Amino acid sequence: MGCKVIFDITMREKKNSYLPEFSCGYALPEKFKRKELCLPELGELDVIRHYNKLSNKNFSVDTHFYPLGSCTMKYNPKINDYIAGLENFSALHPLQPIDDVQGILEVLYTFQELLCSLTGMSAFTFQPSSGAQGELTGMLIARKFHELNGRRPSKVIVPDTAHGTNPASAAMAGFDTVIVKSNDNGLVDINSLKDIMDESVAAIMLTNPNTLGLFEKDILKIRELADKAGALMYYDGANFNALMGVTTPRMMGFDIIHLNLHKSFSTPHGCGGPGAGVVGVTEKLKDFLPVPIVVKDSGRYRLNYDMKKSVGKLRAFYGNISVLLRAYTYILRLGGDGVKRVSENAVLNANYIKEKLKDDFKAPYDDICMHEVVFSCINQKEKGITALDIAKRLIDRGIHPPTMYFPLLVKEALMVEPTETESKETLDYFIDIMRKINSEVETNPSIIKNAPVTMPVKRVDEVRAVRDMDFRWHKDGD
Amino acid sequence: MPYILNTENDRQAMLRAIDIESAEKLFSFIPASIKAKEYLLDKGCSEFSALQKIKAQAAKNTTVNEKKSFLGAGWYDHYVPAAVFDIISKPQFLTAYTPYQPECSQGILQAIYEYQTYMCLLTGMDVSNASLFDGASALAESVLMGLRIAKKNKVLVLKGINPQYENVLSTYLGGTTYIIEEVKTIESAISKLDDETACFVFQTPDFFGVINEPDEVISECKKYGIITVNVVNPVSLGILKTPGERDVDIACGEGQPLGAGLNYGGPGFGFMTANIKYVRQMPGRIVGKTLDLDGKTAYCLTLQTREQHIRREKATSNICSNQSLNAITAGVYLALMGSDGLSNVANICYDRAHYLYNRLGEIKDVRFSVKGEFLNEFVWNVKDAFDVLACMSDKGVYAGYLLGNDYPDMKDSVLTCCTEKNSKADIDFFVNKLKEVLDGV
Repeated sequence: MGCKVIFDITMREKKNSYLPEFSCGYALPEKFKRKELCLPELGELDVIRHYNKLSNKNFSVDTHFYPLGSCTMKYNPKINDYIAGLENFSALHPLQPIDDVQGILEVLYTFQELLCSLTGMSAFTFQPSSGAQGELTGMLIARKFHELNGRRPSKVIVPDTAHGTNPASAAMAGFDTVIVKSNDNGLVDINSLKDIMDESVAAIMLTNPNTLGLFEKDILKIRELADKAGALMYYDGANFNALMGVTTPRMMGFDIIHLNLHKSFSTPHGCGGPGAGVVGVTEKLKDFLPVPIVVKDSGRYRLNYDMKKSVGKLRAFYGNISVLLRAYTYILRLGGDGVKRVSENAVLNANYIKEKLKDDFKAPYDDICMHEVVFSCINQKEKGITALDIAKRLIDRGIHPPTMYFPLLVKEALMVEPTETESKETLDYFIDIMRKINSEVETNPSIIKNAPVTMPVKRVDEVRAVRDMDFRWHKDGD
Repeated sequence: MPYILNTENDRQAMLRAIDIESAEKLFSFIPASIKAKEYLLDKGCSEFSALQKIKAQAAKNTTVNEKKSFLGAGWYDHYVPAAVFDIISKPQFLTAYTPYQPECSQGILQAIYEYQTYMCLLTGMDVSNASLFDGASALAESVLMGLRIAKKNKVLVLKGINPQYENVLSTYLGGTTYIIEEVKTIESAISKLDDETACFVFQTPDFFGVINEPDEVISECKKYGIITVNVVNPVSLGILKTPGERDVDIACGEGQPLGAGLNYGGPGFGFMTANIKYVRQMPGRIVGKTLDLDGKTAYCLTLQTREQHIRREKATSNICSNQSLNAITAGVYLALMGSDGLSNVANICYDRAHYLYNRLGEIKDVRFSVKGEFLNEFVWNVKDAFDVLACMSDKGVYAGYLLGNDYPDMKDSVLTCCTEKNSKADIDFFVNKLKEVLDGV
């Protein structure tokens, strides 16, 4: 049974009872008024039923195994939501006097200190709303840092395995991106890097472990090359879940980092956001952070806007505060021992899946992986079944598909990130289903090709969507 | 161990399966010199202890509900119906990610399609994306979009844009050679339009609350092929003339007033709507309606070749994660409010703000330096405004935002906002307390 678009639900009487009556006798002059606004008038029960129907059509972490690679779909603890909803945090206006918001500023300051300990960085900004905005912030910091040193390097190096946001962010900050190739082991090819690393390079952006789920073992060598060229090292923290408490970005040699709090720090993904892509920097780059930052003077917290080297602002106000509160709660709960266990279990879970499935699905880099493993469905493809087909068949078995066709280096890629919060029992179920699907490739390919059949819709025609360009509801006849 | 389900037995079994002695060994290829030698943070704690600690910190805040708040300046304290929280707390919205797999995300996709429709109806524009980060970055993205379309270098900004948005705009353009120029009046805007201008940006109601109607500039822009960008408060569109009626190319703004609550400034969401002919230059996710294999209505993310995961450095933006849950929240809020409810919100804001304005007019030390019709906020002047605001706060009133923070020549100007949450009695209280302060009581 489909679900009507909300605009097609039967209209109720205009009767809104959410607001107080108005009382002072002033009304907007006609000449400023808009043409009639035609939104549907619905009863509360209409709205509740509608959205409940919609919510039941989705897979989510709370309802399904969701091994979407590079997205770290771990369990989102409920205490975090509870804390974020406390009235003493949620009912604060961002322009209240500083004395009335000492509590939230203390939280932000303490959270900053915790993140510094965990990463080896010296200061953080909470402004970026996502990893991509963090990357842009980082690239602007790199640009300004070089400029104040009298240099104007024009390039940023990214590996061929990088997230798409890396080159896109570097480009937004006005840099040309240069791709460094991976070697046969799936790691940055040091010789290729040597060839392109020179004084025209402003920064190199790396994810470690990289998107193949492999640790860049030569990270110190890369640091050395960057140092020689005067380039900064940027850490895309999307995969930090593999390394929390094990090492730090600072130890690995990074100068600027972002952390995706909606990944490693368990804040809910909310259908695509809000997240937070907080950015940390080393001491020498501290003054370049966006304004304001939270500082503490003799026991009192305040917002410091007086930073002459700052790159400016990335958003109005200070950050996605309710996301930050969730992440703060999470790391207080886990502590130093907890974060290390997170990474150990995330890595163990991924390696277990790799070991159990590598005979059925090609693991192009058969080394110990970190928190995620990339399979190639190239053998299945030869028999007419693609990574996409396998993904859709997983849906019928109640599993959200892994990330598909990424990284681009691996043909027919399925990138699986189980996270530490999944049990062996769930992993065994996934492994069993994947093996069954692999045998269906031989025995019953049509069941894979036709999947899914258990969802509200069958395979969706994405080509048609591009052609039809239907991005909104229209009233009949419009 | 919180949130980890595997037992020690499970772990041992898994280690045996991968033929490794200990979990430590999984990290053996990390050079020893860069391994942490000890725990990097204090030990973790129970849920109860964490709650106690954070609640003690929370207690150091004074909320807007404990005083009478008249703060706005881009972030508004509107009433949010309880049903909004119920819906957006549902796990299948809260804990799902971007709907990459449409077959198991039809609810999310339809909710976003409906959100896009709501934003089009509100702004009077053709097409909406699925959200951006906030109003400030939405403006920056709109300008970048305008620059891509017009393929020229200059951005003309009419004074009255939220100063934080202007700051973010110049940050976003910090790595480029584009030029941003601010003009103070409509006349000077017209005189500055030329063949080099890519974009004209204005906000209405502007940061000072004034309802701006730069119609002549907009029609002049058409002659030069200049892209017009209109920053707008979505709640104002319950009653005010729309960007569509003004015939602008792009509308954008902050979606926080649509059900997001305050949360000390975030999250809200950025919205962007545009003329359909520019859809391929739009940044961000867009949901489209299509069919499934059986010909049944279905939804999916579409026009993805604009985006970073496909186009990489040539993408229309780097945006990946956005603020979907807040966009869906806006949809839920508008579904509950309806046309009647939203226009009521705007009307009540108008009513209260004008009542306050007129009551302030009774006070001889209060002046009004900014002229023009306003909706929900306005500027008033008083000598030593900084001290006056501090005294008002001590008396239990957040009387407004000191414009001197952003404009050195406005150090005695205060921007004050009313919403439906400010009762007539609250406003009378404001006025009485201000009289006390000015009388030195």
